[in-house]
Amino acid sequence: MTSHAAGSDAPQAEVIGAGQTNPSPYPPVPSGHQSWPSSTGTATVSWNYPVDKPSPDTVYYDPQRDVSVTGAESVGSSVPNAAHSTMGMENAAQSHVPYSNTVQHGYNPVDYTNYYYSYPQATNDSSVQQGANQHTGAAYQPLTSFQNSGSYIDPTSNTYYNAGGHQTVPGYGSNNYYYQNNSWNGGSTGNHYAQAQPYQNYTPSDTNSLQSSTSMPTNSLPYQQQYNQWPYYYNHSVPNASSNPATGNSTTDTIAVNTPSGYSYSSNQPPPPGTTSWKNNSVASVAPPVQAPGVPGPQHQYTNQAENQYSPAPVGPWSQNNYANQPLAFHHDTAKLNHAPPSNPEVQQKTVDSKGPSLNILSTNNVSENFQPNLQGSVTEDTSSERKIQIPTNPRIAPGLSMLVPKSEKKNLGADISKKPAYISVSVPAKDAKTAQVGPDSIVRKAIADGTIHTKNWDTEPLLTMPEGVVALTETGAKNSSPFLPTSTPRKRLKSRWEPAVDEKVTDKVEQIAKGWVNSNIHNSSDPKNKTGSSRNQGKFIQSQQVPLNKVNQRPAKKQKHSSQIQNGNASSDSDKEQDLTKYYASATTLANSPEEKKRREHRSKRFEKSQDSSLKSRNSFENNKDVMANMRTRRAVSSFLTRNSEEGTSLAVEDIDWDALTIKGTCQEIEKQYLRLTSAPDPSTVRPEEVLEKALAMVEASQRNYLYKCDQLKSIRQDLTVQRIQNEFTVKVYETHARLAMQAGDLPEFNQCQSQLKRLYAEGIRGCNFEFSAYNLLCVMLHSNNKRDLLSSMASLSKEAKQDVAVKHALAVHAAVLSGNYVLFFKLYKQAPNLNSCLMGSEGSVISGDDGLEECEIWLKAHGAVLLADNNGELQIDMKHFTCQSQRMLSRMVTHRLP
Amino acid sequence: MAAYLSMGEAHRRIGDYLARVSRAISSSDGTALASLLAVSSAPASTPLTDALAAFPDFPRLAGDRFPNLSDFLVPLLRTIHSHSLQRYADAYSSFEKAASAFLQEFRNWESPWAMEAMHTVALEIRLLAEKADRELTTSGKNPDKLQAAGSFLMKVFGALAVKGPKRIGALYVTCQLFKIYFRLGTVNLCRSVIRSIETARNFDFEDFPVKDKVTYMYYTGRLEVFNENFLVADQKLTYALVHCNPQSESNLRRILKFLIPVKLSLGVLPKRILLEKHNLLEYADVVTSLKRGDLRLLRQALDRHEDQFLKSGVYLVLEKLELQVYQRLIKKIHIIQRQKEPAKAHQIKLDVVVKALKWLEIDMDVDEVECIMACLIYKNLIKGYFAHKSKVLVLSKQDPFPKLNGKPV
Repeated sequence: MTSHAAGSDAPQAEVIGAGQTNPSPYPPVPSGHQSWPSSTGTATVSWNYPVDKPSPDTVYYDPQRDVSVTGAESVGSSVPNAAHSTMGMENAAQSHVPYSNTVQHGYNPVDYTNYYYSYPQATNDSSVQQGANQHTGAAYQPLTSFQNSGSYIDPTSNTYYNAGGHQTVPGYGSNNYYYQNNSWNGGSTGNHYAQAQPYQNYTPSDTNSLQSSTSMPTNSLPYQQQYNQWPYYYNHSVPNASSNPATGNSTTDTIAVNTPSGYSYSSNQPPPPGTTSWKNNSVASVAPPVQAPGVPGPQHQYTNQAENQYSPAPVGPWSQNNYANQPLAFHHDTAKLNHAPPSNPEVQQKTVDSKGPSLNILSTNNVSENFQPNLQGSVTEDTSSERKIQIPTNPRIAPGLSMLVPKSEKKNLGADISKKPAYISVSVPAKDAKTAQVGPDSIVRKAIADGTIHTKNWDTEPLLTMPEGVVALTETGAKNSSPFLPTSTPRKRLKSRWEPAVDEKVTDKVEQIAKGWVNSNIHNSSDPKNKTGSSRNQGKFIQSQQVPLNKVNQRPAKKQKHSSQIQNGNASSDSDKEQDLTKYYASATTLANSPEEKKRREHRSKRFEKSQDSSLKSRNSFENNKDVMANMRTRRAVSSFLTRNSEEGTSLAVEDIDWDALTIKGTCQEIEKQYLRLTSAPDPSTVRPEEVLEKALAMVEASQRNYLYKCDQLKSIRQDLTVQRIQNEFTVKVYETHARLAMQAGDLPEFNQCQSQLKRLYAEGIRGCNFEFSAYNLLCVMLHSNNKRDLLSSMASLSKEAKQDVAVKHALAVHAAVLSGNYVLFFKLYKQAPNLNSCLMGSEGSVISGDDGLEECEIWLKAHGAVLLADNNGELQIDMKHFTCQSQRMLSRMVTHRLP
Repeated sequence: MAAYLSMGEAHRRIGDYLARVSRAISSSDGTALASLLAVSSAPASTPLTDALAAFPDFPRLAGDRFPNLSDFLVPLLRTIHSHSLQRYADAYSSFEKAASAFLQEFRNWESPWAMEAMHTVALEIRLLAEKADRELTTSGKNPDKLQAAGSFLMKVFGALAVKGPKRIGALYVTCQLFKIYFRLGTVNLCRSVIRSIETARNFDFEDFPVKDKVTYMYYTGRLEVFNENFLVADQKLTYALVHCNPQSESNLRRILKFLIPVKLSLGVLPKRILLEKHNLLEYADVVTSLKRGDLRLLRQALDRHEDQFLKSGVYLVLEKLELQVYQRLIKKIHIIQRQKEPAKAHQIKLDVVVKALKWLEIDMDVDEVECIMACLIYKNLIKGYFAHKSKVLVLSKQDPFPKLNGKPV
């Protein structure tokens, strides 16, 4: 986040320094950013820090600082960026195929398909670019959970988006975050190491692709990640793009707005970042960065386009921003390639540090190579942009920082959580996690598609941009971020849950990825500038943008659903974010039920199928498939946990997981629902909220249908209560109702389930028919189980008041009667039983207690070996000599009770 | 004193303690080591705890001085420090770390020289866990330390219950586990441990130390009481009583607390002097009711000591004595009838029983009495039959009230 902030700051600073056309927009930012600039100032110093690389945090910090520094160096770096952009263009072209592959694999598959779909749209967008962008923006809002984002956009979201757009530079930072997130996601999926593995997988594939196209391969890794992210980025980018186009037309205005908003985000988010790095960057750092990243991707593209088209004046600022963002990445890469001593070494080191050893290095090297060519190819074209880019480079660094920041954020989050706001922390982590997850998924899929993906890394880059966009959305929805977070978190869950350490690695990877992304973005942007790649890049960008929009739309919806759950959890803790969350909720709930959602789901499922088919092709596909197979939601939830854990930088035991964050809020309005044992995380759209459950209970109580139906309905009610963690008097009522019905139907197992739950609920102080059920409990233990210890503990747990209760007294009397063998008393008590006590006494009592008991007794006695004789008076006599002991006992009851 | 303790002195004391621990380990002196590990029995303020308070950097000191033992010594010092500050939950957490490190090393030592220390660790971890749980309960937190101690001791048991010289120490850990499980109310967890002890053919139970055997028999006897296997319970508790140190009054009382009800249910009544000697007078009324056939007294005694009996788990056992009281009541009636009209002594009208119960303020109708009589006959407490039509219980002329003679009802 801080990195984003730094990136935004850097852009602003650059803008200011450049005295570009849009200074006014930035000014607002500057005020907010001032701290950022300061941070950037420190950042320059920090460059050294990167070298030090002592701790991830420091590294992160350094990246940000580096960003600022890179900003200074920006010009040189910008050229590399351009080169990268060209590379990115190529990659993108190749990557498109991979996308499909990835789509199949993917988790993101849907996104991919969307991408595919979006591509056409993207082209449209490209043609229209400004207008299209705006349209996309509109679509964007409608689509996803974006409603949330849309809402965000409108109120804060507008600012966010704007910020995103404006923050394009920051966006890179955010992209970086995404990357980080992606890496995190990877980590989450397969623990940190697992994450690393995905990367490795990627790397292998990348290497293959690299071998085929050496320069590309290196890119491919980042690109793959980027691919994954692309959707997000696209989403983000689309919004960004829309904003960018707008900015292009009236770039300064939008930009200005965006930047301010972005800042606002940063301010909002800053708390989570809380960590020192964030602090350095600025409070807003975390959330803003994310948004910024998302925006950056698109913006970059747009900026590129803008630069191509608009670059001259108004766009300039935007482009600069975008470039600035890109520059960061490029700077790193370019710096490396260019051998720009300061930025490159730092970047490399950073990347290496942040990322896994080998992978990171590889990626960096590859990137650097790619970038170098790119840089060489298009160094001069966008000087202004390059300058801006330089700033971007800082943003990139910032992304890297953001990657680092994520860790710090996580830490911050952890700290926050520890402080109290588990929710807050959760929400922030969730964002990260989401982004990370998205990134990982996309990456994984990309990896699956490896060969193609590598070649198509550029495409993945767009995807990454999409993720960024998503991230931006999430970030913009910083308040809403929780939704996103959930999505991302689930993936992490799978792997990272148990291994917190992975998170750091992931972040590192993410950073690298983010860098790669940035590079790719930069490439794209630069490509347009570059004559050769311009058309392709534009088209790609457009596609990517469109895709992002689609993805964004889809994902937002998903995220909203998931996020809604998380939000619920978060909402409880975060008072600050509650409002946003509530908005988000509303949007999420609406989304969940919307037809769009269903379509998306269908798409997803189809994609999953495809991915499964294609899984054999790619190594990653296996993982992807698994991921796909696993419930997205569960993953998200888990991943969110994981991400949180990872953020905290400590491994948390399962019992330490904040289940509040996983709690969902149902949106289903159906009163009747069939019980189905959950095999995955619950879907809020199929879970009924409490109001509906109350109606459902009333319906069951009034129902004339048989017990099986009622039991089924009650079980589904219980399930919905459980998954929503509703524990109140209504819950008790449901269990009591079910327990009574089960008793009456003689369904002892079900009764025991309810009874044990009731015991727990009563123990928590929730009022209900406590005495009635402690009487049932006593009867159940004494008559239906042979566990004396349980009976003792049940009796010992009775309070004085309870012993005065009629039902309990009755149960104790029954106990005494049974113990002393006083069956006459037993049957007397059976007849006097209050409530449903007789039901539990039934199995023994019912044999004899009927009015036609005599005949039944005869049958029963004969069945038990009694020899009945009729005496002179016609009265039945029993031949005791042939009677078994048990029958004698039973007989003694019957004789005394039934027979005259 | 702690306030005046110079850093140098504190440093010296801590270093001295560490050196003693290290020396005990290097010289395989289990007794010395055990005494050094007895954290919870130490007074709140000792020279060492003062030093730890005055020298907060003690973890580093321990780590620097004995780097190879630091994973054991550092948490151990923390435990001592936290314990002296009465932060028992912290102390427990630290001690568990130290104990884990110790167990790790203990596994590697071939000879059981450290058995005494291991036992001290097992005892300390249970005591600390109990203290920690009390602290957690008062502060409203979830008291889960004893449970954690239980799972740790299972690991210790796993390390001891193997072939070889270490097995002799397994029974002690088993007893600590019993104590934890009984306290937690998870006695079903005892089963696996018992199986491991009793099915082992490579180690004779009699080879275990007597104190452990007594404790083991006491707890397994209690388990049998829960299961209402009175014969086995009697056997085990009697073993414990016989082998228990006669000087250990509290242990004798504990054993008798369960052995008396078991014996009662087997028809063996204690002398009042025994109850008085061991302060077990809560059983006095029960015994009296059995002697007199006073059902009301039994019920009153049960009611009066209900909480106590429920807590110790003998309530159900005592409740079951009711049938014996009925038997005694019929016997009394029979004796009186025999004195009045010996010819019809063996015919007891159910109305008489109802009337006798009414005198005891117990309201039962003839049907119920008939049912009870049927039960008594069925359980072989009375020999005879009853004539349903005439509502008469006809007793056998030979030994109408057979004695239980150690057989449960």
